[in-house]
Amino acid sequence: MAQTRKEMLTDPLVDNNPITLQVLGICSALAVTTSLEVALVMSLAVIFVTGFASMFISIIRNHIPSSIRIIVQMVIIASLVIVVDQFLKAFAFEISKTLSVFVGLIITNCIVMGRAEAFAMKNPPVASFIDGVGNGLGYGLILMLVAVIRELFGSGSLFGVTILQTVNNGGWYVPNGLLLLPPSAFFIIGLIIWAFRSWKPAQVEEREYKIQVVDAH
Amino acid sequence: MPDDQEDPKGLIRRFLAMPADSIPKTVFVAVALCLVASMFVSAAAVSLRPIQEVNQLRDKQVNILQVAGLYEPGVDVVEAFAAFEPQVLELATGRFAPGFDPATFDDIAAADDPEISIALDDDPASIGRQSRYVTIYLLRDEDGAIDKVILPIHGYGLWSTLYGFIAVEENGNDIFGLQFYQHAETPGLGGEVDNPRWKALWAGKRLRDDDGALQITVAKTAPPAGAEYHVDALAGATLTTVGIDNLVRFWMSETGYEPFLTRLRVGAI
Amino acid sequence: MGLRAFFDRIEPHFLKGGKYETYFPIYEMVESFLFTPKTVTTAAPHARSYIDMKRIMTYVVIATIPCILFAWYNTGYQANSAIAAGLEPSYWQSSIGGLFGYDPDNLIANLWHGACFFFPIYIVTLVAGGICEVIFATIRRHEVNEGFLVTSMLYTLIMPATAPLWQVALGIIFGVVIGKEVFGGTGKNFLNPALTGRAFLYFAYPAQMSGDAVWTPVDGFSGATALAVSAADGFQELAANGLTWLDAFLGFMQGSLGETSTLAALIGLTLLLITRIANWRLVVGCLGGMIAFSTLLNLIGSETNPMFAMPWYWHLVVGGYAFGLAFMVTEPVSASHTNMGRYIYGALIGVMVVMIRVINPAFPEGMMLAILFGNVFAPLIDYFVVQANIRRRAKRHA
Repeated sequence: MAQTRKEMLTDPLVDNNPITLQVLGICSALAVTTSLEVALVMSLAVIFVTGFASMFISIIRNHIPSSIRIIVQMVIIASLVIVVDQFLKAFAFEISKTLSVFVGLIITNCIVMGRAEAFAMKNPPVASFIDGVGNGLGYGLILMLVAVIRELFGSGSLFGVTILQTVNNGGWYVPNGLLLLPPSAFFIIGLIIWAFRSWKPAQVEEREYKIQVVDAH
Repeated sequence: MPDDQEDPKGLIRRFLAMPADSIPKTVFVAVALCLVASMFVSAAAVSLRPIQEVNQLRDKQVNILQVAGLYEPGVDVVEAFAAFEPQVLELATGRFAPGFDPATFDDIAAADDPEISIALDDDPASIGRQSRYVTIYLLRDEDGAIDKVILPIHGYGLWSTLYGFIAVEENGNDIFGLQFYQHAETPGLGGEVDNPRWKALWAGKRLRDDDGALQITVAKTAPPAGAEYHVDALAGATLTTVGIDNLVRFWMSETGYEPFLTRLRVGAI
Repeated sequence: MGLRAFFDRIEPHFLKGGKYETYFPIYEMVESFLFTPKTVTTAAPHARSYIDMKRIMTYVVIATIPCILFAWYNTGYQANSAIAAGLEPSYWQSSIGGLFGYDPDNLIANLWHGACFFFPIYIVTLVAGGICEVIFATIRRHEVNEGFLVTSMLYTLIMPATAPLWQVALGIIFGVVIGKEVFGGTGKNFLNPALTGRAFLYFAYPAQMSGDAVWTPVDGFSGATALAVSAADGFQELAANGLTWLDAFLGFMQGSLGETSTLAALIGLTLLLITRIANWRLVVGCLGGMIAFSTLLNLIGSETNPMFAMPWYWHLVVGGYAFGLAFMVTEPVSASHTNMGRYIYGALIGVMVVMIRVINPAFPEGMMLAILFGNVFAPLIDYFVVQANIRRRAKRHA
């Protein structure tokens, strides 16, 4: 790996973002981005899990039999996720109620598995940890961007603090109800991908098709 | 030469030295990993359980405090909640059931227990089975007289069952407040049941008119009985509104809390 | 001819290397609107003809004229009737709209009052959507498409008269950008942009848009739409509310600006069918699906849901069915492109609209959602039709 550690940490933020470039981990991004606070806790949970899962898998990578490789990774990831879930239930009960099953579903978040399989199985523990944290940060960055848009325009607040006083509470702002529904995260993530790829054209994929043009007679 | 079969460290080392794909190594890794992971997980779960249970209890208590108008951020929940007296109520008679301990009685499990619940034929709130016993909370004033009663209610809206509490004044007919603590209605429409402005509409409404007929209505337009029996509909959420109307009327009817409220009205509690 | 000479004179400035090269799309837009285009079309929605997209789109706009005229009349008629019944005119549009009085029996007063609601919405749509179109055309260096003229007209006609203008602007921007431009512009959009914009508003601002209450542009007027009445009490109750089938067919009821009149929509549809812009297979499929499924539900019946009993000829005249059938289902780009696929696509929409109206408890009207649903499935339908064809031919020649 020619990357420096700093690059490992910053590369997944924009240049190799797990959501916008690799399009992984979308499901939870839809579900937990209606408010910033919840998105922040979810991001921290994912950063924790990707970081430590990558590290632990990397520590024992030379002893993992290839026949049960995926199961071993899953057991480590699942254990970490359950521990995170238990901690949230104990120390952040309100938020854990909102997150409900989605903490548990970090287990199925492709980013965690993807980094374990693609990076941690071949690299030493410290590098794997940094790589995992970096990818978690990349995920968190997008989650926070989406949540800022959804909470600000959907509920008129940020971190629960009212910014735009809504009509229902006697203000002027008519909240956009679509942003409170999960599909809106699709649009927002799509627009973020569009913005990223306009900014960094290297991320644009090759076309899989060619439009046929008939010459005029 | 020492016998390293006897030395567990040596045993592990021997396993570690094996090629990763050999069968004994595979079994060893699987077993060892499961042991370590399960210890790790169960340690976390067991050590954190007391805190989680306190959280769940507190969450319910906060909801009861809120519907009784006693909750402010920063208030000591345990201390404030001490003012409430939980009681298990037999719905049909309106009397307390001393056979159940309110501290351990589980309302939701009771609704599934054929011994103490009934299947509803006439089921406007769409709840299927109704427990014959329910935990309610009495709030007494300094003299020990009843000030408010907090009654749990639930029923189906548009997408989900709404769970909540209704607080009724000591006269058994005036509503003090209503609050749902769990639902999955459309955000911004049916989800506005959580809006403090809508919840505030319930304060001071009356359940029954002077002839004892159940009049409380949640609808777009006021019923003929008058505005004191009418809570305005949620804008744009027709079916959630209908659901709430049904469930409130169901729980306030004779199959619900009416036997208890009747006794409360005559001062028999 | 002076005008042609003027265009010939300024044209070099807009061509490659000219002073105003960047603004070629705008030049082209004006030039080809006025004159027969010099180029021959080469790609979807049709191939190799001098009847280019511009002419097609112009025909569609002409076909909407009956709906536009009726939109003016009916919007004004509904507002004037409410005012005649004793309500105060409260929208700012009514202050100009009252120029000829508020008499619901006066044709001119109704047309004028309705037009005063129509034009603000239409102008906002043209400006907001047009700005998006020109920005994308300029950045992507393609021509400004007359498709937008159709989109903006259809979008205006499916707006409620009471829609706040900022919402109108937001909706058309969403429709143009997300419904069309992100997929590459006209001809590559698999969603109908006008409906995409409408759907956006429907979910974003349901209080103003969802349509369980009517949109008569006078404050204090309340009532349920024909579909909401039918859903609550059954279609038989419509007569009790003063709405006969003929009223509904002609369009004398509350609803979005231009979609109340089935007759006006059918006149437009006839023109589109004669000019072969609308494919008749789509219409047959959509009518067939709706009639078959609503009849099936009539036969099944339901004690708790009175909508089950609504016959197909009522489904045809209430809500946006007829308008959607005439102008949205037949839209060539977002529909299926194979003949067999067109029947399936139409039938899918016909079935879906009845299903949403009757069985889904949350949405009283289903035409918009059904068409968008059909749009999404159109490429898949085409794929299977083409694959089936390939298999059949392979078998024949095996």
